[in-house]
Amino acid sequence: MNFGKAAIAAAVALFLFYAVLILSLLTFLEGQRFLEVLLAPDTLFSIRLSLTAATFAMILAVAIGLPAAYSLSRFQFPGKKLVDTLLELPLIMSPVALGAALLVFFNTPFGNVIQERGILFIFEFPGIVLAQFATIAGLATRLMKTALDEISPRYEAVARSLGSSAWEAFRKVTLPLSLRGILSAMILCWAKAVGEFGATVTLAGTMAFKTETMPIAIFMSLASADIPKTVILILILAGIGLTALYAVRLVEKRPPVL
Amino acid sequence: MIEVRGLHLSLGDFRIENLNLTVKEGAFNVLLGPTGAGKTLILESIAGLRRVHRGRILLGDEEVQHLPPEKRGISYVPQDLALFPHLTVERNLAFGLRTFPKDFLKKDPHLGLLVETLKVEHLLQRHPQGLSGGEKQRVALGRALAPSPRLLLLDEPLAALDPALKNEIQQLLISLHRSLRFTALHVTHDLEEAYLLGERINVLIHGRLEQSGTREEVFLHPRTWDVARFLGLRNLFPGRVLKAEGAEDSMNIGLWGRKIVIPSSHTARSVSAGEEVILYLRPEEVMILRPGKPVKESLRGNILGGEVERILDRGTHRWVLFRPSGLDVHLEINLPNYVFRNLGLQEGQEIQVAMRRESFWVIPTK
Repeated sequence: MNFGKAAIAAAVALFLFYAVLILSLLTFLEGQRFLEVLLAPDTLFSIRLSLTAATFAMILAVAIGLPAAYSLSRFQFPGKKLVDTLLELPLIMSPVALGAALLVFFNTPFGNVIQERGILFIFEFPGIVLAQFATIAGLATRLMKTALDEISPRYEAVARSLGSSAWEAFRKVTLPLSLRGILSAMILCWAKAVGEFGATVTLAGTMAFKTETMPIAIFMSLASADIPKTVILILILAGIGLTALYAVRLVEKRPPVL
Repeated sequence: MIEVRGLHLSLGDFRIENLNLTVKEGAFNVLLGPTGAGKTLILESIAGLRRVHRGRILLGDEEVQHLPPEKRGISYVPQDLALFPHLTVERNLAFGLRTFPKDFLKKDPHLGLLVETLKVEHLLQRHPQGLSGGEKQRVALGRALAPSPRLLLLDEPLAALDPALKNEIQQLLISLHRSLRFTALHVTHDLEEAYLLGERINVLIHGRLEQSGTREEVFLHPRTWDVARFLGLRNLFPGRVLKAEGAEDSMNIGLWGRKIVIPSSHTARSVSAGEEVILYLRPEEVMILRPGKPVKESLRGNILGGEVERILDRGTHRWVLFRPSGLDVHLEINLPNYVFRNLGLQEGQEIQVAMRRESFWVIPTK
């Protein structure tokens, strides 16, 4: 077998691995229960909660991550390498550990002040958003930095020589040129936030009709040994995730502007 | 007048110290130098894209070194042109304008002339990625000139073009400049391009401005050995000043064991007796003497006999390598093709050449 065929065989094997996993779910699928589970109030709540929290988390991650990505892409400043390295921490750190760290933080005096005089995070909706934000912010920044790195700083240099301020040059040139990459990053991070479990369960708990997101609902139904319901919930979550991934492909498929 | 005074810049280990540069208003100025001389660094500093450590940049009476790029009124065209790919040609052209109402290109006489000279009217609704190399160049120039900048900076925009397209854009730059008389500072390492475009040429080598002047001053009368070498000048010979002030406003230079009398004005600065200098003799100025023909009195002192070692057909002229008898040097001679044919020169032929005293240029070595 030559190298090319071996590489293709590896890709096929990987595809089969995931395909078998999904197909194995179907052996426990009770088709007649699908609509019943999907339309059940607790499932609809979990879906709504997951999508809403993920949207908030993604908006927060972009609002902070985009300027951060821009600074990492364009400027040199002391500690840049350290910041760059820290961004990858959520990628290698267990989400449970990340959630535990957040939980510990809210038990410090500073965290207590925030909880008592600001927003309640522990076992609350903002806790879900924060846990998801903590998981995706680094990834969002990294992906958006990659999108910005692909745009030559010369465009901005020319825009500025033509009378645009730094902000105008970013808004009129860099942002439109990197928009596709930024949109892909947003969708990917949103999908990752929808599927986030470890940090969320640690910080926000598993309260039905309050903090039970889709991944937590899957965990709870598995814990109560309701395998058919677990399978249906997994398929719903997989459906949301695959739709998001398809959306990324659609965004990337558009003819390049460069 | 645009002036750079006492400018200090750095990029990594590379430093430019105390740079003084004058950009003549309304003229096509060229900043010429080898790769790595610091040309782009200077250009970007003038544009406001790099921090100036020390020094002043004056646009007329206004100091602009502390101003952000958008407040300087200086347009910049980088080597890769950086046309905005998400905008149409029309939007690219209008990018530097404060407002662009409908039909702005037709209503504004300056823009109308620009579009007409650049021949881009038929491209207005297209995007840059569909344009040819020449069309992109024209749009980039139009975009930079549309806001009527106080200074146009061109950072080797022709460097990557094939010869035919380069020639076309050079001609376009000349006619654009004749029509609009904008002030330009054009960076290049291309000698021909600098000679063709530069009304005033500034030679930058290793971060030092070695010489500024008209094209004739720079190419015919290099001030330093570094400039002469960078310009690729041939027939550079080490000599020594025998007498700094000879008869009839001349100086005597010792070369190859003989005395050459050269007009005193034929040096970048005054030299003193005993000083080591470089003598430059343009290959076009060496005269091959026809056997039996009388020689002018003024040439008699500077005649050399020797052998034609090599002849090359350079297309526009013949290049002849001449070795004077008894000397371990070579003299390069450029002959127009018709002169070469009339002389009927051949390799190995014994000839005599004359060097006019006015054809020598003295380059101080210190």
